[in-house]
Amino acid sequence: MQIIIQGLLLSGLYALIAMGFTLIFSVGRVLNLAYGAYLLIGGYVYFTISQTLGVPKLIGLLLAAVVGCLVGLLKYRLLVKPLKGDHVAVEISTLILAVVLQAGVVFLYGDSSKILLPIVPGVTQVAGASVTYNLLTATIASWAILIGLYFFVRKTHVGRAMQAVSMDTKGAAISGVDPDKINMFTWGLSGALGATAGVFFASYTQLSPSMWVAPLIISVAVVIVGGIGSIIGTLIVAHIVGFMEVLAVSVIAPELRGVFTMLLIIGVLVIRPQGLFGREEL
Amino acid sequence: MNFLEVNNLCAFYGKAQALHNVSVDVKAGEIIAIVGANGAGKSTLLDSIMGLTTVTGDIRMEGKSLVGLGSAAIVSGGVGYAPERFNLFPYMSVQDNLLVGAFTARSDIERNLATVHQLFPRLEERKNQETSTQSGGERQMVSLGRALMTSPRLLLVDEPTIGLAPKVCSEIAVALRKMRDDLGATIVITEQNANFAMTLAERLYVLESGVVKAQGTVDELRNDTRLTEAYFGH
Repeated sequence: MQIIIQGLLLSGLYALIAMGFTLIFSVGRVLNLAYGAYLLIGGYVYFTISQTLGVPKLIGLLLAAVVGCLVGLLKYRLLVKPLKGDHVAVEISTLILAVVLQAGVVFLYGDSSKILLPIVPGVTQVAGASVTYNLLTATIASWAILIGLYFFVRKTHVGRAMQAVSMDTKGAAISGVDPDKINMFTWGLSGALGATAGVFFASYTQLSPSMWVAPLIISVAVVIVGGIGSIIGTLIVAHIVGFMEVLAVSVIAPELRGVFTMLLIIGVLVIRPQGLFGREEL
Repeated sequence: MNFLEVNNLCAFYGKAQALHNVSVDVKAGEIIAIVGANGAGKSTLLDSIMGLTTVTGDIRMEGKSLVGLGSAAIVSGGVGYAPERFNLFPYMSVQDNLLVGAFTARSDIERNLATVHQLFPRLEERKNQETSTQSGGERQMVSLGRALMTSPRLLLVDEPTIGLAPKVCSEIAVALRKMRDDLGATIVITEQNANFAMTLAERLYVLESGVVKAQGTVDELRNDTRLTEAYFGH
């Protein structure tokens, strides 16, 4: 039971982590290898605002999302748009950017890990399994954000325009949608989602300058294994990855956390490169 | 002043020039057809009006230049476009495809949707169907419907009959006529099917290798050798 509950909770968090990455992949057709840096930035902004300066946690979380959003917007304007069309150049530049941001964090905060205090401290019992309030809060918040995002994408004009750009850019343009503005919006949204996920992720694990790598692998796994950019698909694959990790850690060895996710990426690339679901939608 | 004036238009895809000093005039409420063989530059002309190519020369609608505006501004300025390959959103429903067309005309949604459903009742019956599962004729209807959702005063339709069964072609022709007669839209179509073009349009432009070879009313061009030459060569 502990494994099932832990798997469900962790998977919800992983879905939130992967969502921002999936959005950019789906709408902008960019494999944003600097995506993990949003989580890094979110974690450290929250650490500075709420843990160091003592500002209320909700404000720290909101500011982390705002800074993530701004970084996303800047990245699109200064890097992705000028290199538009050259996917390799975009991917190399974004990866380099993540490493630069990591160096910046080391410069400002040192290279040792920091403990981010739980957003909500304490432990409770869920169906006989012991669960921290912190992970429970992270999971509930993740689900709330994902459900909100689902309805935003399906039911609003901007959301439908995001879907349209992801499926046919010319079709969107001749419908009066400006693909550039939609891309810009999506990069900002992705940054905000990533930074928010970063606060929850860091409070679940720890804060360190290299904390951007694991979420990036989770996100790449979700896009490659799912083969789609949909919100529902992201949720499903996040649960596959989440349960695999919980099983690996609790049944085999904690050191193998993440290894099976990487093996899954390779396996899907070799056997079914179009992904398990194999179609593109939002 | 004509409703649409295209003057000395040259269009480029990268370094390749697809149109050479093309001039086309359209009066308000007219249906004109651009006819010519494959590769004559018909689609490029419509793409250029929509701001999708690099051009020199001028394109004016009601005296206002469209050059350099960008597609979104051109659409909100009153130009609707149904392209040859439809460019629909395959994993979205018929209804959502139509609603994307309303992005810049949100206050007209209910009226436009009712008009689209009146013209193409099948789109209302199948409003929840994904367009990836539809026939060519149905997709053409969605494409025209999406263009109508932008509240166009000028409607550009690229090859409306290509690959469609004769019965569906007639349905499309009836719908296009209604769009002009009932909705007051000015319409420019391109056609490889000269017979269809002549039954629908009042005037024709014959395009060959990116150059206007002939123009005139349907009666003037019906027996013009330049029309047949444009299709079958010399």
